[in-house]
Amino acid sequence: MRHFRALFIRLAGLFRKDRHEQEIAAELESHLQLHIEDNLRAGMTATEARREALIKLGGIEQAKEMVRERSGLPVLEVLLQDLRFGLRMLMNNPGFTAVAVLTLALGIGMNTGIFTILNGAAVRLLPVPHAEQLLTVSQTYRKLNGSIQRNVRENASFFSYSEYHAYQDQNRVFTGLLAYAPFVEATLGGEHLQKLQGALASCNYFDVLEVPPALGRGFTEAECSAANSSPVVVLSDTVWRNAFGADPSILGKPIVLNRTPVIVVGIAPPGFEGSEPVPSQFWAPLTLQTSLMRGQDRLGDDKQSWLGLVGRIKPGVSANQVLAGLGVIAAQIDQLDPGRITTLAIGSATLFSVPEERFALFSAGGVVLFAVGMILLIACANVSSLLLARAAGRRKEVAVRLAMGASRWRLIRQLLTESLLVALLAGMLGSLISFWSAAGLMHFLQSIVSPGYWPMALNVAPDLHVLAYALGLTLITGITFGLVPALQSSRADLTLAMKGESAESGAKPRSKNFMRSALVAAQVAACMVLLLAAGLLLRGLHRANTIDPGFRMKNVTAISFDLNGAGYNDQRAEALQRQLLERIAALPGVDAVAQASAVPLDDNHSVTDFSIPGRQDHILTEYNQVSPTFFPLLDIRIVRGRNFTDAENHTGAPVVILPQSTARRLWPGQDPIGKTLVRASISYEIVGVVKDAQVSFLGGSDEVYSYFPAGPKEQIGLRLLISGAGANAPTAQTLSTTVAALDPELAVDVVNLADNLKPWRTPGRIVSALSAILSVLALVLSSIGVFGLVSYVVSRRVREIGIRMALGADKRDVLILVLRQALRPVAIGAILGIACCAALAWIVSTTLPKDISGRFLYGISPLDPVSFLLVPGFLLCVAILASYLPARRAMRVDPMVALRYE
Amino acid sequence: MGDKKDVWQGTLALMVLKTLQALGPLHGYGIARRIEQTSGDLLAVNYGTLYPALLKLEQEGYISSEWGTSDNNRKAKYYKLTRAGRKQLDKEAREWEQTTEILARFLAPGKESA
Repeated sequence: MRHFRALFIRLAGLFRKDRHEQEIAAELESHLQLHIEDNLRAGMTATEARREALIKLGGIEQAKEMVRERSGLPVLEVLLQDLRFGLRMLMNNPGFTAVAVLTLALGIGMNTGIFTILNGAAVRLLPVPHAEQLLTVSQTYRKLNGSIQRNVRENASFFSYSEYHAYQDQNRVFTGLLAYAPFVEATLGGEHLQKLQGALASCNYFDVLEVPPALGRGFTEAECSAANSSPVVVLSDTVWRNAFGADPSILGKPIVLNRTPVIVVGIAPPGFEGSEPVPSQFWAPLTLQTSLMRGQDRLGDDKQSWLGLVGRIKPGVSANQVLAGLGVIAAQIDQLDPGRITTLAIGSATLFSVPEERFALFSAGGVVLFAVGMILLIACANVSSLLLARAAGRRKEVAVRLAMGASRWRLIRQLLTESLLVALLAGMLGSLISFWSAAGLMHFLQSIVSPGYWPMALNVAPDLHVLAYALGLTLITGITFGLVPALQSSRADLTLAMKGESAESGAKPRSKNFMRSALVAAQVAACMVLLLAAGLLLRGLHRANTIDPGFRMKNVTAISFDLNGAGYNDQRAEALQRQLLERIAALPGVDAVAQASAVPLDDNHSVTDFSIPGRQDHILTEYNQVSPTFFPLLDIRIVRGRNFTDAENHTGAPVVILPQSTARRLWPGQDPIGKTLVRASISYEIVGVVKDAQVSFLGGSDEVYSYFPAGPKEQIGLRLLISGAGANAPTAQTLSTTVAALDPELAVDVVNLADNLKPWRTPGRIVSALSAILSVLALVLSSIGVFGLVSYVVSRRVREIGIRMALGADKRDVLILVLRQALRPVAIGAILGIACCAALAWIVSTTLPKDISGRFLYGISPLDPVSFLLVPGFLLCVAILASYLPARRAMRVDPMVALRYE
Repeated sequence: MGDKKDVWQGTLALMVLKTLQALGPLHGYGIARRIEQTSGDLLAVNYGTLYPALLKLEQEGYISSEWGTSDNNRKAKYYKLTRAGRKQLDKEAREWEQTTEILARFLAPGKESA
């Protein structure tokens, strides 16, 4: 405590300097007088008495200095001094300051902006009270011999209903454990007919999250215990305002969700939108699952992964205790299924909390952060280079300070303070820009990541993490660009500098040139990485725009509806489908109608596995269930065998058609017709082989794919494809009316098949645009770096060039001399950059999931030779141009002027 | 001056506190003289080093100061012990005695070595 008291007084001492000075002077003066009087009394002469007293005191100024050091805080004083001096220097060079601050602000701003979004998605805790006490629980499992059978919804790490109950009932580490099933789509019936996205939630949902509904109440035990006893729902504030006009009397009244009447018992507080990135518009008890999703019984299926778990930790319980406590329960569950081994993982409760999602997010975010980090690095190199050039002008100042006795460390500190000031200004400017633009950037990124989906609910307001990130980045930036010049310029040769001679006269220009060359090499390397990445992405984009997906998209329309959710059973679904087929086929302008369980290039492909008799392994395949008209409608040619017959289609006969590549892969060099494959213990005969078509994944047709007939059991999940050209082809309006005539309460999506390409092309287009902008920026910044280096080299070698020319060197020799010196670092940087990008491209393409990387490269190799030849060539041309312009000055050197120079 | 010992870092504060306890309020010159005399002229106090030490003690609240007049009518800054200072003096003196006692036992020709 005494130390703090002293520190405080010393801090205060900083501001009362004058009074302190007077007091010390007075005290020391009185000390001297007392001593002198004593000495006189002892019989010394006046001079002797004064001399002896001064000796004993050890010098008045020295004593004052000692007291001064103690009365204030010297460290702080020096810092303030440095800051004052630094500010003065920056204001004296407004041009330098503006260029440096703006360049760096751009870099820091972009970095902070990207981080803000990552932070909102995966670091910021859920906006609920005491969110730090919340933990998400996820599981991975394997079996000692054989594979685990799970029916996965949304996520493999989710839990089944019975597993949730085991954890909720038996754990002793949580005050409560909630379960939720996200992304439940429901049609709100009645006058506000619209699709809603919501969640099913356990009874304790609002209690565990400590988010009591703003109006009404949450769920009661009775409403959750028995299935469908009394259906209730809590609405989000947004839906309540938009669909029900914020009418409080809605409480207690029934609304219709997926044709099930449910009673509104509560309205969630504004701003609360669930625990997933996609906002929830309603919450219904888990037990309502069978009513909201007809035909599925997830509650009774112990192998169904559909529930995310979030627990509120008991006070004083550690993360390890949680894992241990839950592990016991997991072991009990494992015993029911011998050989199964479950591993639990816990994480803090953020919007993206599932491990795989976080991994994908952080990898993608990491790539982007890396790219903008490169820009910042290039900017740093330029500012560094500027500082080095300026250091030449400050040699004399530095030398004077060194001669006056300043230590080198003190000088470095002074120079670093200046750099940090520049960085801080840039950091503040950049952060302000990024905070303002984060929301806009978010919308932009969202349109890349998930166009046409529900808007994401990310909070991108700056918080402590973001501020800390911005500050840390700023400090690192300041030190990165400031340290080298500070070390460099504080090592002045005293005598040379004091004599006013500069290194132009040839003392030791090597090391300084070396530093700047190294900076340029680093810039070129960073720039090369970005340019190559942009080159690869542009090639991918070109491929995406020109690719032939292998099927017809023109004039094909797809109709989708959710019969399952709308409460249809197999019979009614089949009746509806049959009537629809007839009515649509009868519409004017319709050429053909086909049924398919998956619309080409849509995101709704299903996966199954099959085995081949006589072989061991199970083969995973994406599949589509299609009617015989599907292939002719989409112009997918049958190359061997035959199409399904109508009879096979009506009965759902065990036949299958494979694409060429799949057939070739499974039976290389053999005729696949007549071979069989076994799916769910039924043997399917291969009756036909069709041309490859990229129906599930644009740019990739190497995956195993299969077509099954759209039999009677599948009718409930089928969509319709309609082809029709000409002026009287049916419009979306006509098609919707046709469906509405049969079932007015069925919500229908009508899309043009060609529009399905957009989600595939748009991300590539936007990401290519983004990377093109980044790399142009990098190119401009690097060109400035090269330009600066060459100008500098020329200005320092004017005299030498003059002598060479006087001795008979012609302009060409001089040009080559200068260019060679400039282009060496460029070449080294280029080679480094190419190697670096090749390594990165390889790492990214092997670690990122295929459906992310594939959406940008579309089958282009990450080491695509076209990009790797053209881009370095282009960069080299720019570098030569950037060095040629200042190098021309060298050719115009007049030997006479040069020799008299200085 | 050759034989005189410099004052150890840290012990000067203890000496100042003890002096003020023994003599009551005193100015800087008086404290310096007293320390020199008490040590039997074995210690060479550079009077200048006394002032930062006094300032430190004052900042820590162990002593307080005020301007007064000396016996021969000269203005001087007088220091006196505060309550916290008295307590600190007790504590430090005890610790110091303990330390010296321990060291003395080590340095004395012990029975073990005999």
